[in-house]
Amino acid sequence: MSETPIPASQEDDALAAELALGVLDGTERAAAEARLRNDPALMARVIAWQERLAPLNDAFPEAPVPADLLNRIEGRLFPAPAPRRTFWMALSGLGMASVTALAVAAFFFLSDPPAQVEAVLVAENGALSYDAVFDGLRLTVTRAAGEPAPEGQVHELWIIAPGADPVSLGLLAEAPLVVAYPTPPAGWVLAVTVEPAGGAPGGKPTGPVILKTEITL
Amino acid sequence: MTDDPIAQHLTRIAAQDRAAFRALYAAASAKLMGVLLRILGDRAEAEDALQEVFTRVWLRAGRFDATRGQGMTWLVALARNHAIDRLRARPPSAEGEDEMEAVADTTPRAETQLMAKGEARRVAECFDRLEPDRAAAVRGAYLQGLSYADLAVRHAVPLNTMRTWLRRGLLNLRECLEQ
Repeated sequence: MSETPIPASQEDDALAAELALGVLDGTERAAAEARLRNDPALMARVIAWQERLAPLNDAFPEAPVPADLLNRIEGRLFPAPAPRRTFWMALSGLGMASVTALAVAAFFFLSDPPAQVEAVLVAENGALSYDAVFDGLRLTVTRAAGEPAPEGQVHELWIIAPGADPVSLGLLAEAPLVVAYPTPPAGWVLAVTVEPAGGAPGGKPTGPVILKTEITL
Repeated sequence: MTDDPIAQHLTRIAAQDRAAFRALYAAASAKLMGVLLRILGDRAEAEDALQEVFTRVWLRAGRFDATRGQGMTWLVALARNHAIDRLRARPPSAEGEDEMEAVADTTPRAETQLMAKGEARRVAECFDRLEPDRAAAVRGAYLQGLSYADLAVRHAVPLNTMRTWLRRGLLNLRECLEQ
């Protein structure tokens, strides 16, 4: 190529454009997305690029949606209380037979509403643990012991309602994970799996369950 | 923000408002289905993906910042990212040359559809100033979720050449839009 190289000052903006477009692949994509999670300036550039390219959205024609899809989504997000047997069946679906780590504790702080619920996800040998705190509006998950997943992998947090498929709550990296999420009812389960960098493709857990705990109130 | 009903729904969803979630679904599901269908090319997978996208909308609405962008832009970005996650997770052999050719034919039409609105016309004008190959590469990446590797195959150029083309094309596009 006879073209002059892109100036270093524009490198970040070019990367932001690549992230907005989604053209990166493999480890390059995982690395860029990992950086994005801890780089608000880069995130701002990505959002600016999303807005710049948004007029292209007119080229996506609307498409009909099956009539029962909203019910299925709501059933997944807001399941009706189910018997405990169903909850254990849901667990076996996640491959719990092979689980080697156990959660040892879940606490409930008695207080006036909004009730705060804390759960501890800890490995059997104590080498890895995460503290999970629901404050009524948010879930905050902080690593209390151990190391994040090795290079190329990531710890992914899931919540499993009784009888429902696991739903990803996000990836556990260096910084605490904060997600908007209501305090779940007793009997719901938090689990951590090891996934490829960038998280489980397709939104379903693929890796081994290394930590789990049941919410108790 | 007041003239962005999608943003208002998202703000309420962040506070766990289920009625707002239903309203958002009514307003945006057909558009997001269109995004997923276009990128994934398979109705059953697009329906599955739409469930996942709306699950994420419920869980992540609190991350939307109405001071920085439009609600629909945020939703389309969420849907595109999820669809691209699925594309990148497919085995390489799943995408044959024939399929690539078939979808390539539909892209130029997308641009003519852009001519209708003011803001969209500005983007279309800036696309026209790019070299045609580079404009086509940006459109292919945006509308079909093509990766650098896919684009290099389609345009029959080395991967690094495609990277340079696309990056330069995007920066030129930005300059043009900021004029």
